[in-house]
Amino acid sequence: MTEQTALERRVQLWFGPQHPGITGNMAVQAWLEGDTLTSGVTHVGYLHRGFEKLMERRKFIQSFPIVCRICVPEPDTNEWLLAASIEELSGLDKEVPEKARWIRTLFLEMSRLSSMLMVLGGHVGAMGLGTAPNWLITLRDYILDRFEELTGARVYHMYVTYGGVRRDLPEGFAERLEANLQEIESKLPLVDNVIFDSAVFRKRAIGVGVVPEEWVDELGLTGPIVRAMGIARDTRTDYPYEKYGELDIEPMTTTGSDIFARAWMRRLEIAQSIDLIRQILAKMPTEGPYSAKLPNMLTWTIPAGETYVRAEASRGEMGYYVVTDGSDKIRRVHVRGPSYVHGVTLLERLMPGTNIADLSALMVSLQVCPPEIER
Amino acid sequence: MSLKYTIAPFSAWLQAVSKPFTVPVTGGPRPGAPRYRGWHINDVEKCIGCGTCSAICQNEAIDMVPVDDPVVGDSGLRPKIDYGRCCWCALCVDVCPSGSLGMSNEYVWADTDADVFRYIPGVDEKPWDDSELGWRREEGFELVDHDRVPMGMLDPDERTQTWAEVVIGYTEEQARVEASRCVDCGLCVAACPAHMHIPDYIGAIRDGDDARAVQIIYDNNAMPEMCGKVCTRRCESVCSIGVQGDPLAIRWLKRYATERFDNLAEVLQPQVERVGEGRTVAVIGGGPSGLTVAYYLAIRGFEVTVHEALPQVGGATFFGIPRYRFPMSSLEKQVDLLKSAGVKFVLNHRVDGDELTRMLAENDAVFMGVGLMKPMALRAPGEDLPGVIPALDMLREQNLGHEVDVGEKVVVVGGGNVAIDASRISRRLGAEVTIAYRRRVVDMPADDEEIEDAEAEGVEIVTQAIPLRVEATEDGKLDFVWGPAEMVQEEEGKRPRPKLIEGVENHLVVDRVIVAIGQGPDLDWLPTEISEKICNKWGYIEVDETGMTAVEGLYAGGDLVNDTADAISAIADGLRAVNGIVDKTRAQHV
Amino acid sequence: MKSFEEILDFAIDNEQKAHDLYMDIAEMATRPGMRQTFLEFAAQEMQHRERLEAIKAGKLPELDQARVETLGLSEHLVDVPVEKDMDYQSALLFAMKAEQRAYDLYAGLAKATDDPNLVTLFEGLAQEELKHKLHFEREYDDVVLGDN
Repeated sequence: MTEQTALERRVQLWFGPQHPGITGNMAVQAWLEGDTLTSGVTHVGYLHRGFEKLMERRKFIQSFPIVCRICVPEPDTNEWLLAASIEELSGLDKEVPEKARWIRTLFLEMSRLSSMLMVLGGHVGAMGLGTAPNWLITLRDYILDRFEELTGARVYHMYVTYGGVRRDLPEGFAERLEANLQEIESKLPLVDNVIFDSAVFRKRAIGVGVVPEEWVDELGLTGPIVRAMGIARDTRTDYPYEKYGELDIEPMTTTGSDIFARAWMRRLEIAQSIDLIRQILAKMPTEGPYSAKLPNMLTWTIPAGETYVRAEASRGEMGYYVVTDGSDKIRRVHVRGPSYVHGVTLLERLMPGTNIADLSALMVSLQVCPPEIER
Repeated sequence: MSLKYTIAPFSAWLQAVSKPFTVPVTGGPRPGAPRYRGWHINDVEKCIGCGTCSAICQNEAIDMVPVDDPVVGDSGLRPKIDYGRCCWCALCVDVCPSGSLGMSNEYVWADTDADVFRYIPGVDEKPWDDSELGWRREEGFELVDHDRVPMGMLDPDERTQTWAEVVIGYTEEQARVEASRCVDCGLCVAACPAHMHIPDYIGAIRDGDDARAVQIIYDNNAMPEMCGKVCTRRCESVCSIGVQGDPLAIRWLKRYATERFDNLAEVLQPQVERVGEGRTVAVIGGGPSGLTVAYYLAIRGFEVTVHEALPQVGGATFFGIPRYRFPMSSLEKQVDLLKSAGVKFVLNHRVDGDELTRMLAENDAVFMGVGLMKPMALRAPGEDLPGVIPALDMLREQNLGHEVDVGEKVVVVGGGNVAIDASRISRRLGAEVTIAYRRRVVDMPADDEEIEDAEAEGVEIVTQAIPLRVEATEDGKLDFVWGPAEMVQEEEGKRPRPKLIEGVENHLVVDRVIVAIGQGPDLDWLPTEISEKICNKWGYIEVDETGMTAVEGLYAGGDLVNDTADAISAIADGLRAVNGIVDKTRAQHV
Repeated sequence: MKSFEEILDFAIDNEQKAHDLYMDIAEMATRPGMRQTFLEFAAQEMQHRERLEAIKAGKLPELDQARVETLGLSEHLVDVPVEKDMDYQSALLFAMKAEQRAYDLYAGLAKATDDPNLVTLFEGLAQEELKHKLHFEREYDDVVLGDN
């Protein structure tokens, strides 16, 4: 085969930005030989709204409706990170009431749970198996019902604010949430049958998309991807925030570092989340304020300073690097999301040699959230 | 691979005969959660049109649009929501100072016309207007600061031993914190008779630029230190934050800003056109209206002479307001600025009718602001007895530094600020003081804080007490006889009036009866040909929208023109006359 | 006095006299605005007169018998003499007292009469005067006693 013919046999294929197999609005430009990728380049920018820049033009309180849009399936980490970073810089963190801290912990864990239920469905959905995703989306909706009841909205909650949260738990909330958890637990064996005990999923997931351990520190990988290699790293236990330090929590791990291991990791963390939510509900005080007394949010200025605050999202470590200059606005904010390293750097490294049919499943297993890449 | 993995997925078929995961939906959309953030609702009666919802909306989805004629305390505007922009974050609801704005739990609304998705909640009728459920403002979660920075005051026991100022004033830090509570709605500007740029100078104080604050203040108030201490502060009564919390301490912030500078002339460099060069204006009466006219005309190049009957200008703020509220040094500082602006003062000089006629002929304009100098008489038997004195005389004597003897026990008749001032002065002179007022405490025209302060200083207030007569006792004291009153509501919407309950007499033996029931104009000195033209039946003066009376070139203002009789209204009258005189001068230039 | 007409004529004459008195005071008033005040009072008396004439002519229903509750303001205040430098306070006080005297007159006549029809008429006229008095009382309460 001459050089000429080899080039002629290469096919360039655009995957996305409008494609049901891609995780959100981004594109992969892939070069194929046969059905195997020789290389791939990611293209982002379809969702760019300049969140970070917008926040430099907003009063502090006005950024909450912005940050939740940085990740659609899991907006709440962003709300908390913004609140926590500004609280640290303003000194308001000392005023956050005990109850608000518990509610926030509950809120963050509910958020992780709902996000993981969704992405677990995505794992098999990307392989063309439709049953489990439908079930899991339903289970996620039970959690969204509770979010709606707690925050007044299903998807963009805008619930955490500086100094606490915006409303108390409604009457009977814990009981209804517990009923939902039991419902989810009762359905999970069914889900296991059609995912982890499915020959199709096992054949297409085991040994596929393996991430080598050496890349972890080189690329800054975090979250389930790392824990699926057997490395016990979790922001909640390594750098406990809010009430995670008072919970009985051990980082979970599995081995294999392939698509299957990452799916199983999420399955384990769903169970862990359910357990944590129960612990939180049991330990949460019933009395007390849910918010600190706030200064006038229209004129609030905070001292100049900078900080980095992090939290464990379902995708991995999220962090906000925030700089203030003593005015009534943020000077600069940088959103460190796991999707950039997982969805751009890592994905581009993993693509060569990957079968085109596995690309969707690979992206889902890296849990890429494009708006978070673009901010 | 184990056979298990081939068979297990088929367990999904069991769902064909099991309870489905999905929830069947019948009978229309499922209702939103009790605190769902759906379409807006607004209680337009409660809404004051402050526009804070619009200010906090990061999507600029809220426009304030006119729906009604503005009244004091209500801009006449109401929020109009553009659902092409709204993101249902409900910050507008949580910040709403009046608590009128809310969200229903309705979320389904479809229409082929995109323009209908802009509406004024509460004005444009919607099916969810009466929705019981949805996101509402909740006490305990405030995006504005409801708590005023408390003002330091002398201890009540200490106060009665001294003539020192009762109010201590804000420190720099306190002032910045208090100023930061403002939401910049501007309802106060409309309520202030002089329309001072309140949010602007509060903003300057908040930002630490006190000089700028004073410059803004002096744009339309030449006696701000006085207003900062004793203003009736209508601004605070309409402050949007005051609906659910403490109103901004606008008066104290103005006081703070003006007290920061000893030499105001260094701070103020008014940039105004000197239209009045070569023109002369005479001002009769050195009260707030007259001094306002003098300052703003002087900086515009007019040659202004102020004629004052007393040895010191200031009007009621000099002879009426006690020094513990408005010290002499504050007044002098303001007068010094006028002097530096070139205003001339003729003191101890009472203008008569002939002189007025001459002034009108010799000046381009004459402004008259001589106030209400005639106390209303008790008209009860015994009012001529020695020891029955008008409060105004007593206040004047005290403020002129003359010896005032009120004896050991005093009754003050009346419930206005003058009555409170006379009472608190009497306390400082060592007397036991009782206020006898015909109506209830809530009806008192006096400032609420003044009433509280008086009570704290040991003044006793007897309400619904109608004076019947004063008799001399054998041991040279006065027997003040009063009868109890019942409050009768005769006319809808008006305050109830007291009606004497016949047959009951109460006695209060005192050394002095101080009468502070009100005052009226004293314009007997006016030439008849002028008074006939300018006075109405109550003996007050009427002016047009330029502040001018029916006599060409004669302007008037202050208590004898307006019906509110406070210093800030007098300043507003002065400003009106300034504009009238300046406009007329400019017209003559052309 | 016998007939309705005679009594009404008497009352009309009283209003006319009051009107004339106010006109006289207006003529001599020296204080600013007081001329207007008394002219207004006079005009009010003239209106009262016209109202009585209309009743006499049968153009209006009979007098309202409902008892008028006054504030009892003037009773314990001193009498004021008619003077050329009367101020607004004195004018109101004078007017209140005048209306009170008119009331006393009719109320006395009602007591002195046995004819039930005449009693009704006198009492009606008495109440009418009280209405006028209440008008001045309210003005006094608002303007003079603003701070009390």
